[in-house]
Amino acid sequence: MSNSPTATKDTFPKLLLRNARAFAERPAYRHKDLGIWHTWSWRQVLEEVRGFSVGLSALGLKRGDKLAIIGSNRPRLYWAMCAAQALGAVPVPIYADSVAEEMAYILHHAEVTLAVVEDQEQVDKILSISVGLNRLLHVIYDEPRGLRDYDHTRLKSIDEVQRLGRDRLAADPQCLPWWEGEVAAGSGSDLAIILYTSGTTGQPKGVMLTFDNLIISAINGNRFDSLGRDEEVVAYLPLAWVGDHVFSYAQPFTAGFCVNCPESPETVSEDRREIGATYGFAPPRIYENLLTQTMVRMQDVGRLKRVMFEYFIAVARRWGEKILNRERVPLHARVLYRLGDLLVYGPLKNRLGVSRVRLAYTAGEAIGPEIFRFWRSLGINLKQLYGQTEASVYITAQPDGEIYADTVGKPNIDVEVKIAESGEVLFRSPGVFAGYYKDPEKTAQAKTAEGWVHTGDAGLIDAETGHLKIIDRAKDVGRLTDGTLVAPKYIENKLKFYPNIHEAVVFGDGRDFVCAMLNIDLTAVGNWAERNNIAYGSYQELAGHPLVYDMLAQHVEEVNLSLANEKALAGAQVRRFLVLHKELDADDGEVTRTQKVRRAFIAERYAPLVHALYSGANEADIATEVTFEDGHKGVLRARVKIRDVKAVLAPAVLEQAA
Amino acid sequence: MDLLYKIFIDPPVQMGAAPDLLVQALWEGCVSGVLYALIALGFVLIFKASGVFNFAQGIMVVFAALTLVGLNGHGVPAFLALAITLGVMFVLALAVERVVLRPLVNQPEIILFMATFGLTYFLIGLGELIFGGEPKVMISDQLWLPGGAYRIEIFGGFVQLQKIDIAAAVIALLLVAALAVFFQRTRIGRALRAVADSHMAALSVGISLEQIWVIVWFAAGIVALATGIMWGARSNVSFALEIIALKALPVLILGGFTSIPGAIVGGVIIGVGEKLGEFYWGPLLGSGIESWLAYVIALVFLLFRPQGLFGERIIERV
Amino acid sequence: MRAPTGQEIAAGEILLSVDNISLSFGGVKAVSGVSLDIRKGEIRAIIGPNGAGKTTLLNIINGFYHPQQGRITFKGKSRSRMRPYEAARGGIARTFQNVALFKGMTALDNIMVGRTLKMHRGFVWQLLRFGPALAEEVAHRRVVEEIIDFLKLQQVRKIQVGKLPYGLQKRVELGRALAMEPELLLLDEPMAGMNLEEKEDMSRYILDVNDHFGTTIALIEHDMGVVMDLSDRVVVLDHGIKIADGAPSDIKNDQAVIAAYLGVAH
Repeated sequence: MSNSPTATKDTFPKLLLRNARAFAERPAYRHKDLGIWHTWSWRQVLEEVRGFSVGLSALGLKRGDKLAIIGSNRPRLYWAMCAAQALGAVPVPIYADSVAEEMAYILHHAEVTLAVVEDQEQVDKILSISVGLNRLLHVIYDEPRGLRDYDHTRLKSIDEVQRLGRDRLAADPQCLPWWEGEVAAGSGSDLAIILYTSGTTGQPKGVMLTFDNLIISAINGNRFDSLGRDEEVVAYLPLAWVGDHVFSYAQPFTAGFCVNCPESPETVSEDRREIGATYGFAPPRIYENLLTQTMVRMQDVGRLKRVMFEYFIAVARRWGEKILNRERVPLHARVLYRLGDLLVYGPLKNRLGVSRVRLAYTAGEAIGPEIFRFWRSLGINLKQLYGQTEASVYITAQPDGEIYADTVGKPNIDVEVKIAESGEVLFRSPGVFAGYYKDPEKTAQAKTAEGWVHTGDAGLIDAETGHLKIIDRAKDVGRLTDGTLVAPKYIENKLKFYPNIHEAVVFGDGRDFVCAMLNIDLTAVGNWAERNNIAYGSYQELAGHPLVYDMLAQHVEEVNLSLANEKALAGAQVRRFLVLHKELDADDGEVTRTQKVRRAFIAERYAPLVHALYSGANEADIATEVTFEDGHKGVLRARVKIRDVKAVLAPAVLEQAA
Repeated sequence: MDLLYKIFIDPPVQMGAAPDLLVQALWEGCVSGVLYALIALGFVLIFKASGVFNFAQGIMVVFAALTLVGLNGHGVPAFLALAITLGVMFVLALAVERVVLRPLVNQPEIILFMATFGLTYFLIGLGELIFGGEPKVMISDQLWLPGGAYRIEIFGGFVQLQKIDIAAAVIALLLVAALAVFFQRTRIGRALRAVADSHMAALSVGISLEQIWVIVWFAAGIVALATGIMWGARSNVSFALEIIALKALPVLILGGFTSIPGAIVGGVIIGVGEKLGEFYWGPLLGSGIESWLAYVIALVFLLFRPQGLFGERIIERV
Repeated sequence: MRAPTGQEIAAGEILLSVDNISLSFGGVKAVSGVSLDIRKGEIRAIIGPNGAGKTTLLNIINGFYHPQQGRITFKGKSRSRMRPYEAARGGIARTFQNVALFKGMTALDNIMVGRTLKMHRGFVWQLLRFGPALAEEVAHRRVVEEIIDFLKLQQVRKIQVGKLPYGLQKRVELGRALAMEPELLLLDEPMAGMNLEEKEDMSRYILDVNDHFGTTIALIEHDMGVVMDLSDRVVVLDHGIKIADGAPSDIKNDQAVIAAYLGVAH
């Protein structure tokens, strides 16, 4: 355990009191509303949280109660968390884009008594499921639009609740000392939050994290990267995700830096540009998309610009990362790079809003090495980390100076990592969760008596670098009928490195050979189609086009080649593939909210296609029920074609044959 | 070979040989350029707001100058005469809106253009009738415009900067700045931009097209008056000024028909181009280069960048 | 500035009525003897096959066309022809079938132009951006921002509207009409060219405007589903003549209406 002096401020409300004293006038939260940025200093945040907290108490929230929080990144929703924690209550954030049934399950399972939501949409969702929720006392909303005529007996606005709190504080001289007493009564070992993980199988589990878990992890994270009070972050990742909770709540509270909430999900890029974020996190997908967009845009600019761009990107590719790693670089390279910065990298980073970013993390899945190197070559210190909700995020992270595209780094401060016999990765740290809410059985499965947690991922420690490499989900590592190891995630990642392939699902466990189902990336392939004068009327049409299949077949062959070069996996090359007629969608349950594929579910849903893949058929009919954005359902039919791919003979086999 | 030498080597050598002469030529080019720009400005204002190419802008310059001089000639003190002339331009704007624009409001632009032709000859006739056809002298002294020149020693030689030229440049730039601010910052300016963009949309929002047009023609009248005073002070006030107004056309092509800064830039380019051309390439190509060089430059621009340097590219979504 | 003319109308009372309106272009009778009324606070749909005279009717109401016959009564004041300026002053705002926007200006500026009639300070004050004029500018900007928030246009506020896709252009146009704080909103095929999701959004905006601000709305629309869902009363035109007028459910089953849409000879 660390001995940092701030350990005495062992809950977030206590940290808030400290910040209001130590950083009083420094900006804590910003929000762009109606076109302008509104700022709240730490002192002002304390005042807001206190009013909110007393108001919540007046509505019946007490120690041990659960407060649901549903919405996008708004300061008042973060303050709701602190307001609840001050009373010893526990916030339970829920993903804003959850369907009503998912929400109902969590509200019921967590025994939620009060809910703070963002707007009419969320209120409507809750009202539609409120029948079974007799514990729910009040719903409190942030944005009043559209709610004027609703029945307000159990519906209140945050303004009202805060006013209630402030009135009480003004009227009753005992109120303030009482509230401060409640704050003081909290301690590091208390439950701080319950985060429900949208698991890839089964119902979501409620991960219980204590204040110690989060605060110590946050402080360690701050130390690992020297994060101080001058950082600026943009909060745009889901509130209910542990990453956002650490980056936009735990770390700011401990280090004292400012969190900026964008105007709306659509304006995030523009807002990021205006703020000039210095530190951020994004899943690999986002880095990939930004790169694709940039490349696509570069196809359209005038010749001079394009030539300049290509030249300087090549310069960056050659020297950029070295310069970032502070390696010795010849003078002429430095000069060229500087020129490139002036003409190309600077304006590009400015347009993307990342000019001031000095630290960018990514995690959640493997990132294409090309993409990784591209961003680093532009001078952005992009690093990988590996974490889980059950770890309060940090398990491993890449230290500065040791950045590789295919590892996830070394154990973070105070974290221990070991690899089990089966290849599963285990960890132990101060951030290890207290348990799964109301589920001691699953908790015992995940955590051993000594405090080691099963991550569920299979990995290995690289001999040369000492870094951890993640291969796949432990339970997904399977074997073909002939015993060859099949790591579907590993193969899927290699396929997804190609910009044209948006998603891939690989099958092989218990089968004779490996097959893949692919989703095309509409932006990249659409662009390619335009350039090659291929007309298409819909996603389905483009996905089924023979030339697209040809292009993808080439990619699969290349992946096979790279697989052939790794001894253990050479036999797991992809033999057949098809391109799906529709994108895999979280609303249909095919991927999780964090865009991870649910292989078993997909296998079931697309059973006719899987059957056809293994039966040798050249095409198959499929009819799937889909849910449209407005909730109503329809059926999508398609005839999907299947392609065979050549396997590359492994060198070992060739030797044997010789 | 000899020809190439004369075109490409000789002039730069001459420029280098007598740098003070070069500076003089540049200065004079800038000044006449700024004055061309003033005329072009009048066109831009009206075209931007009502889509009409006002052929009568040139004669408005003359008419304004004549009114001013004529009033003063009858004993009206200079600044009062100035104020009255402004009033006359306002009345003219009202009259044009009422009599020419309103009846023709839905007609194609070419009809309106022809109407401005008619307006031109009307004003010529009226001017001659009231003020007589002989050239007049501009009342520069009464308007406190400076005379004389500065003589500056430079590069071993000297340049002469006429004070009136300096005054003209300063006044022109002030006018442009004022107009730019007006367009961008005020409600009426925004309404003007709206009317220039879409009449139907502007009407539906309650903008009074008539009011806007009066304002715009009045503004063009003010610019015409300023132009008339400046040109008149440098030479004299006669109906020949009206022809010089045609020089505005190349300026507009260069700078864009709808851009105020474009008028300045275009004007300076044309002015400087003309003067340099006259001085250094004149002997080669025969004198009188000033009368046609501007149009050649404009022709080149039409081939490569028809919307001008600053004009709006028409964006049409397919 | 002249104050808008006309008396105050209570909810449910007749806000605007046209009486025996006729207009012909050349030999074509665009609108022939049409009479209808619009009550304050209602959503009135005007439907009919193509060429029925619906847009012409709207143009007459808002003053772009002048009828050859008949009278228009708005807020108690009766006239034989309306001028666009008077209509706007009186509180009538309009959107167009083909989107009439200021293509060279940003979305924000377009909506700001809608506030023109509400701006009072003289332009000398505005030039100086001083004191009362600045305060007024800020107040107007706030109203415009609230409209942008309401219509979810934040991400396009600084983009030139000429570059926006059709659906967004229509939303900006609605924003500009709303900026006038109209009493009567005339919408000419607001859903044309939109996909299902956009139509739903637009329907919700229209309902919200009617609900929240009490704005009376007259809309021309082809999508029958939208008409049935949104409107309180419907009037049907065919070849310039009114053939039906009443509640949506009645109209749906009216023989004349069905015949007109199916093109039965008459």
